Amino acid sequence: MYLYLPVALTSIHVLIPIGLGLVVGLLSGLFGVGGGFLMTPLLIMLGIPATVAAATDSNQIVAASTSGTYAHWKVGNVDFKMGLYLLAGGFLGGLVGVQAIKVLRAMGNADFVIKMTYVLMLGIVGTYMFIESLSIMKKKPTEEIKTDNENKIGIFLKRIPMQTRFEKSGVTHSALVPIVLGGFVGILAAIMGVGGGFLMVPVMVYILRMPMHVVVGTSLFQILFTCIEVTFLQAYTNHNVDFILAVLLLLGSTLGAQVGVVFGRRLKAEQLKILLACIVLAVTVKIIFELTLSPSILLAQAGGH
Amino acid sequence: MKNFRFLILILFLLFADKAFAELTVDANHSHIKIDFFYHGSIVTISGQSDQNADLIIKVSSPEGHQGFKKKGKAAGFLWMNKGELNFEHAPNLYFLHSTKRLEEILSPEEADANTIGYSALGNHIKITPVSDENEKTKWFEEFVKFKESSRLYANSSGNISLTQKNSGQDFSIKFDWPYEAPHGDYIVTVYAAQNGRIIEQAETNVSVEQAGLVKALADMARDNGALYGLISIAIALGAGFGVGLVFRKGGGAH
Repeated sequence: MYLYLPVALTSIHVLIPIGLGLVVGLLSGLFGVGGGFLMTPLLIMLGIPATVAAATDSNQIVAASTSGTYAHWKVGNVDFKMGLYLLAGGFLGGLVGVQAIKVLRAMGNADFVIKMTYVLMLGIVGTYMFIESLSIMKKKPTEEIKTDNENKIGIFLKRIPMQTRFEKSGVTHSALVPIVLGGFVGILAAIMGVGGGFLMVPVMVYILRMPMHVVVGTSLFQILFTCIEVTFLQAYTNHNVDFILAVLLLLGSTLGAQVGVVFGRRLKAEQLKILLACIVLAVTVKIIFELTLSPSILLAQAGGH
Repeated sequence: MKNFRFLILILFLLFADKAFAELTVDANHSHIKIDFFYHGSIVTISGQSDQNADLIIKVSSPEGHQGFKKKGKAAGFLWMNKGELNFEHAPNLYFLHSTKRLEEILSPEEADANTIGYSALGNHIKITPVSDENEKTKWFEEFVKFKESSRLYANSSGNISLTQKNSGQDFSIKFDWPYEAPHGDYIVTVYAAQNGRIIEQAETNVSVEQAGLVKALADMARDNGALYGLISIAIALGAGFGVGLVFRKGGGAH
């Protein structure tokens, strides 16, 4: 059965967005990422205009992350306090990031800088997570997870004033730390035009030292609010949220998120991390291919990425 | 003497004109409604013409501006968006069907004068910024490739079916109307050609309109963005919570 999408101005078979939503929702329930890096390019491939694809995806993530946050919250895996601090930082970072894009555009070559930042970030984060979780999985029996590296960063973080306890995560940090880190991710996310879940998750795991399962729940909680804001702004200023497409996507993604949470509970933290690392690396490889292979058509609709 | 010859010529043309069967054209589906289940349509263009005439059917949307991002190599080997390209006087949709290959039935000048065929369209559309004619040709070809891949441009010869009659010929062509073509008015022009020149032309319209829920949602997204955004968010939150609740109940059952 085909439905017509009133804002994207195209027709689509209903099973395609539902299936796509299911896959991306599964990823978001498992890893606490929004999945925009996967969804937006796939929607564009299906003939949805780039701007509508990005805006509608954020509407869909609202549903998937509500579903995922709710499931994680039931099992005590959402650190609301940490989430709110990160969110405050992310909001400020987003404002800075939007200005940064303007400066980059004025300097010319903006697309080059943005693409390179994106590939480097993905590559570094993916490789680091992969190697780190692999080495932990190898020395399974012992629990000597604490490394020198952690101590150095840990000692530095302990010196910052305004130390406060994050009960759910079982960590103590200065309130400034999540705000600054959230801000940093917010800046990058705004510049790269992505939600930033794949950056936020490693930051929470490796710098804030939060347990993996709490990271996933808290990341979803955080993404929920970011995407509510983005959806509203896109609908209000750019008029490019497609309601019908969003509903089809969320039919799949809300279910997928629940399944993801159930699966996630059966996996160990290291297994989750190494899977996420593989996905991030796969996306990196895909982007490198896109950058180096000659495209079949040298024109793209203006207004997208 | 010159004037006299000219008069004869005019009289001859007037007389000759009478001998032609008048060119007519009609679209079977002149009002296409885009409703919730719309997946494109099928349109038949038909009419009558003089027996000896070759025919060209052009379907196009009004001309306008179209903006694109062009891809190019950065740092020698990385493909990315490198600047914008503007196309002026470019129709969003352009279908051209002829009884024979265009070069056989129309002189290039005549084709240019009526914007018939890709080559004439290429001369008609203004592309900025391009440095020279070669670059313009290259980007026009990319433009056509882009449009054909979205099924908005098409080009064929020999697909118009003709039935000969005593007084003239009936012509008709049936083709898919792509769902990628947005709502709007489209102009169908039929040209009758002889000896490389257009001797007659006739016009009709195909109008595509949004209807029902599609129209309501599209209007709301455009005119009432804030409310539209809030409803979209509310539905997403509701769906997320709803599914969460259902799963909790389902989970408790076993």
